[in-house]
Amino acid sequence: MISIGRMCVKIAGRDAGKKCIIIDILEGPFVLIDGETRRKRCNISHLELLEEKVEIKKNASHEEIKEIFAKKGITITDTKPKQKTVRPKKLRRSKLAQEVKTETAKKPAAKTAEKKTKAKKATAEKPKKTVKKEE
Amino acid sequence: MVEGKKRSRTFRRVFKKTPGGNTRKYYLKRKPGKAHCAGCGDVLKGVPRERPYKMQHIPKTKKRPERPYGGVLCSKCMRNKIIEQTRAVSKQ
Repeated sequence: MISIGRMCVKIAGRDAGKKCIIIDILEGPFVLIDGETRRKRCNISHLELLEEKVEIKKNASHEEIKEIFAKKGITITDTKPKQKTVRPKKLRRSKLAQEVKTETAKKPAAKTAEKKTKAKKATAEKPKKTVKKEE
Repeated sequence: MVEGKKRSRTFRRVFKKTPGGNTRKYYLKRKPGKAHCAGCGDVLKGVPRERPYKMQHIPKTKKRPERPYGGVLCSKCMRNKIIEQTRAVSKQ
């Protein structure tokens, strides 16, 4: 009964009651499954095998299995992996007060730095023009 | 004579250590009974046993197992039920 392409229903865990297909047979009591469930290793005792069988390659991709399920009228919705949201760190009032002081102290220094960069840009642009003319 | 709630057993006694090192006795309302499986009657695991005002502030995912029939049936009964359902459909 246990072979690649066999339709199953998962009977344990949070994917219980969902349909899946055996993709690969692993060592011991384990198989690889994919379908409505997540693509993962699974114990045979956690599967209820069905009579239906589908022709697929070993280690078939998730998209291939999606198509097979789509033909049967079962749409598989993939969840996007969550991206980490970077939250601004909360600072203590004492630290905030320190930062404000340093910022005010830095500001005049920053302005001079900007001027310098502007001057550099102006110098950097000039040679480029000359290069174009040569071409 | 002390208060009525201190004499009756409707309130449970909770002993807590104070920061000073003494133990103090608190009289709190009793917790509700444990949740049981609707199929076999076993005590359910992973279902907290708290008064409603505490259950309000617990997230839903911590109130019952994250599987079909979680918090209603135990894992064994859930497994049997899904097997029954799948076999009934395949026979048709």
